[in-house]
Amino acid sequence: MSSGYKPDILWSPHHADRYVICDTELSLYRIGPAGSSETKAGALPLSEETAATLLAINSDTPYMKCVAWYPKQEPECLLAVGQANGRVVLTSLGQSHNSKCKELVGKELVPKHARQCNTLAWNPGDSNWLAAGLDKHRADFSVLIWDISSKFSPEAVPAEKVRLSGDVDSGLVVTKPLYELGQNDACLSLCWLPRDHQKLLLAGMHRNLAIFDLRNTSQKTFVNTKAIQGVTVDPHFQDRVASFFEGQVAIWDLRKFEKPVFTLTEQPKPLTKVAWCPTRMGLLATLTRDSNIIRLYDMQHTPMPFGDEVEPTIIERSVQPCSESIISSFAWHPSAQNRMVVVSPNRVMNDFTVFERISLAWSSTTALMWACGRHLYECTEDAGQGVAAAEKDIATKMRERAQSHYGHDTVQVWRNHVLAGGDDPQLRSLWYTLHYILHCSAAALQETIGPFKAYSVKVILECTTETRRCWSGSDRQTDVPWYHSEERSLALQLCGWISRGPDIDVEPFLKSLEQEGEWERAAAVALFNLDIRRAIQILNKGASAEKGDLNLNVVAMALSGYTDEKNSLWREMCSSLRLQLKKPYLCVMFAFLTSEPGAYDAVLYESRVAVRDRVAFACMFLNDAQLPRYIDKLANEMKEAGNLEGILLTGLTKDGVDLMESYVDQTGDVQTASFCMLKGSPGEVLKDPRVQCWIENYRNLLDAWRFWHKRAEFDIHRSKLDSSSKPLAQVFVSCNFCGKSISYSCSAMPHQGRGFSQYGVSGSPTKSKVTSCPGCRKPLPRCALCLMNMGTPVSSCPGTGKADEKADLTRDKKLAQFNNWFTWCHNCRHGGHAGHMLSWFRDHSECPVSACTCKCMQLDTTGNLVPSDSV
Amino acid sequence: MELHILEHSLKVASIAKEGIQICTHGLIKLAFLPSKTRCKFFSLTETPEDYTIIVDEDGFKELPESEYLSVADATWLALNVVSGGGSATSSQPIGVTKIAKSVIAPLADHNISVFMLSTYQTDFILVRERDLPMVMHTLSSEFTLLRVVNGETVAANSTGVTNGFVKPKLVPRPIIHPLSSPSNMFCVTSLDPDTLPSVATLLMDVMFYSGGAKETGGQSEDSGHIRFFSFSLIEGYISLVMDEQTTQRFPNNVLFTSASGELWKMVRIGGQPLGFDECGIVAQISEPLATADIPAYYISTFKFDHALVPEENIQSVIGALRTNESTGQ
Repeated sequence: MSSGYKPDILWSPHHADRYVICDTELSLYRIGPAGSSETKAGALPLSEETAATLLAINSDTPYMKCVAWYPKQEPECLLAVGQANGRVVLTSLGQSHNSKCKELVGKELVPKHARQCNTLAWNPGDSNWLAAGLDKHRADFSVLIWDISSKFSPEAVPAEKVRLSGDVDSGLVVTKPLYELGQNDACLSLCWLPRDHQKLLLAGMHRNLAIFDLRNTSQKTFVNTKAIQGVTVDPHFQDRVASFFEGQVAIWDLRKFEKPVFTLTEQPKPLTKVAWCPTRMGLLATLTRDSNIIRLYDMQHTPMPFGDEVEPTIIERSVQPCSESIISSFAWHPSAQNRMVVVSPNRVMNDFTVFERISLAWSSTTALMWACGRHLYECTEDAGQGVAAAEKDIATKMRERAQSHYGHDTVQVWRNHVLAGGDDPQLRSLWYTLHYILHCSAAALQETIGPFKAYSVKVILECTTETRRCWSGSDRQTDVPWYHSEERSLALQLCGWISRGPDIDVEPFLKSLEQEGEWERAAAVALFNLDIRRAIQILNKGASAEKGDLNLNVVAMALSGYTDEKNSLWREMCSSLRLQLKKPYLCVMFAFLTSEPGAYDAVLYESRVAVRDRVAFACMFLNDAQLPRYIDKLANEMKEAGNLEGILLTGLTKDGVDLMESYVDQTGDVQTASFCMLKGSPGEVLKDPRVQCWIENYRNLLDAWRFWHKRAEFDIHRSKLDSSSKPLAQVFVSCNFCGKSISYSCSAMPHQGRGFSQYGVSGSPTKSKVTSCPGCRKPLPRCALCLMNMGTPVSSCPGTGKADEKADLTRDKKLAQFNNWFTWCHNCRHGGHAGHMLSWFRDHSECPVSACTCKCMQLDTTGNLVPSDSV
Repeated sequence: MELHILEHSLKVASIAKEGIQICTHGLIKLAFLPSKTRCKFFSLTETPEDYTIIVDEDGFKELPESEYLSVADATWLALNVVSGGGSATSSQPIGVTKIAKSVIAPLADHNISVFMLSTYQTDFILVRERDLPMVMHTLSSEFTLLRVVNGETVAANSTGVTNGFVKPKLVPRPIIHPLSSPSNMFCVTSLDPDTLPSVATLLMDVMFYSGGAKETGGQSEDSGHIRFFSFSLIEGYISLVMDEQTTQRFPNNVLFTSASGELWKMVRIGGQPLGFDECGIVAQISEPLATADIPAYYISTFKFDHALVPEENIQSVIGALRTNESTGQ
């Protein structure tokens, strides 16, 4: 065994700047800022900022085994020292001895039989009480509770008995403890329970942790365990106790004291110190022998007590306060957050602050919080710095959209993009597409063309009959092939170029584009319809419009010079200069005019042009071989990019879900995905787990934002479109005998609302004859008034007769329904037909059942309401 | 009350006085360098006849084979009574007296031979390993039996051995061996293991060189004096039994002394070596003491048994035992 004493460290309980190092002697230090005038030249640096000054040394007490600092303010620096022979000596350090201190200093508390004092603890309530834990002696107790204020009475011990104990320094020696506990047992560690100052937790030799109550010392609560080397109560959670044994720490809950709540991972070396952080909830620091690290266990988020099956969440980490040196002991600062001083075997001290882990949390409303130690920082989105709406977080956007009823316009579906803010071209395209799809399918329903809702350009386009058409506006004839078929025109309808009907008339579409000021696009559409004159006219109009671009006139001029001669200067210049045009539609116009028939890649792959326009163009100018290839290629591109414009191609099919998936992956916009998929999609698509996932997530999001009304609206909207999402009945009337729901037999029916009709609530009372439980065939209870089994329709109530006559027919019917309902008092459990009950309680206050004095109606808050039919 | 069956497998050996030199290396290692061995249970008792060693299997390996070393053939297990509660009043008799009626007498009734070792800290009752089922059967009614296995205390069940044991006849136990009471007084004490190195040489002197000192000193030729010294190091705890003269040789504040400074007188049992098979010897002594409420220590050695009683009680003890002796005859 090593005879050298390893230094231990103790903070003053009241002076945040003082601590004591004890090894063979006691040294009092004051900690202060390094280099300040207060610190003397001889100060020992503890860290970059702090230094310690030695204030006093006390070497009066040899063979120190443990030290405890007096917990009260006065006397300030009184220490109890437990010695190897079991004596406890009160001593003081560096104090101007005031009277109270003088009386106590030097006092010795001597056990009957000498053995090592292992631990000391001052009672937190009665500071005169000091508990000492000693090694075992066959004939003595191991825990002695001393009253330091007790006076020595020399008569108590016969004089000749004091032969062997050297000092007879009377007045200062106390030999009679207040309480003695734990016979034939050693006490290795003890602590007072902060919850009840009469209770003491002992860690004993015979593998016991025991709680004694001083008011009744014959009773104890105890538990067998190896972990008895040290016990310490969590100052923040007074039922939580840590005890250790060799390399293992066990955490106990005093309310469930049978076994440890959990044990921490075992260390290879024996532990020497375990201490709860006094300034931070649930932080335990442990030190093993000959180690230079302190291990920290954060159990702040560990639920106490937790169920057996839950794995505790403990965050383990280690800190190295001084890089090389081994740590002999450490002590948490009593008030400075997460601060500790560590001391090495050769008394090198180090001031150290454990850095708190920083934890982050997003609120559901985009605010960000982070916490470090006791500080909480909030970060909010800075909207003042010209953050455009497009740059807003998707969650913010979704919140705004949810508030503006986005997705709920089922009549004018395209309007939803306006509700969404109207600034997202993808959403605009999406909702227009959905609008056209729904329109077409509604039309298809009437004309019974295709399968409902499966509309998409990809599905529609199969083969077409070929037709040719000439330039209409130009004076010269050309050879541009122009394809037409029923399917192609349906596709054009989906693209929004033409409205329903047999003829291809883009004029309404051009008009609407003109109205919206999309001059270039209108001109291009006109040109693609081979109406070059109209295109020029549109461009002129655009140039002359308010805020119009005068350059459009120049473009119109260039356009009017169109020639189909292959080698003309016009053609040459146009094909080279068009690339410098900034506006994509102008660019594709010239590309169209300068390209060979059938080779329109410059138009088809101009990504700045809307997909619907490119698809419509393809429908007109690509032949049957080229068209499906192009559509396929474009659809795959859209799918990969998650571009909602591609819904035009895929429709709300599996492909559409794939596309939406990559859109959601990129944007997180489950809102649009949910509404879109609910809106038009066939049943199979709705069953797709991805779609269900988006919907559930959107509902959760609404919950998180506390948009209860929006959530309810969404659920209603959803159940209208997806009948399978309707919630099942949640309240049942169960049979007294078999306990099954009396409406259970119809639970298999899809329409659960029918349950009550089984026992007489249906519209026509004569129809229902079910008066017994469908499960066990036992009769249903009887109405307390008419004594008929429930389920029999109600007879006309004497009290309501007049009112019924006056009532109009519909109201009468409704009343008849309600009159048949079961009602019963939750207090006395008597009841009957709702109609009978209502009329009874109109005149009575007590229950209709004889001998029952329950004032049923008054127990109910609605009992004070006057039934509507009596008004 | 709990009865702990400790996990040490113990050997009881005797080293002849003249052969002590060949064993000193091992004994010093066992006594003073516990970190160098895996021994957890070591006791050395010097009597005028021999040195008695009680040591666990790990410690036994440290001892050389020798003609001077005789070993009792059985393996012994140590039992330890734990009172469990803190209910006891401070005036309760201590040591062997406390367990005389509850443990020692029932074992004697069942013809189980016991070997006692009292220390400063507690009392160990050694029983033969082969007797354990019988021991458990005998004591299971009085005690919660707990067995220490790899440091863990687990409940021990005396399974399947309840049948076939003869219910013993309860007979009065006369004292059959001669008693003697040496004149010197003894001190039962302990010391802080941390201070052990500082007194190691002194202890070695007391342990191994007492014979020489006796011859030169001459004053211990006094016929009433007995040479008796016991040292034990069990689970980290040191216990010492030495006579009052020997305590004077230790520096102040090293030995643990009780506040009252109590001293003990010895009652030595046996004229002939007692052997290991006879049972009831401890019971014969301890029962009358328990009846008279006299605290006692009891240390069995290879050849004889030794009881320590408070000096002021020695006369009444002798008296009580003599009465028992006479009733037996």
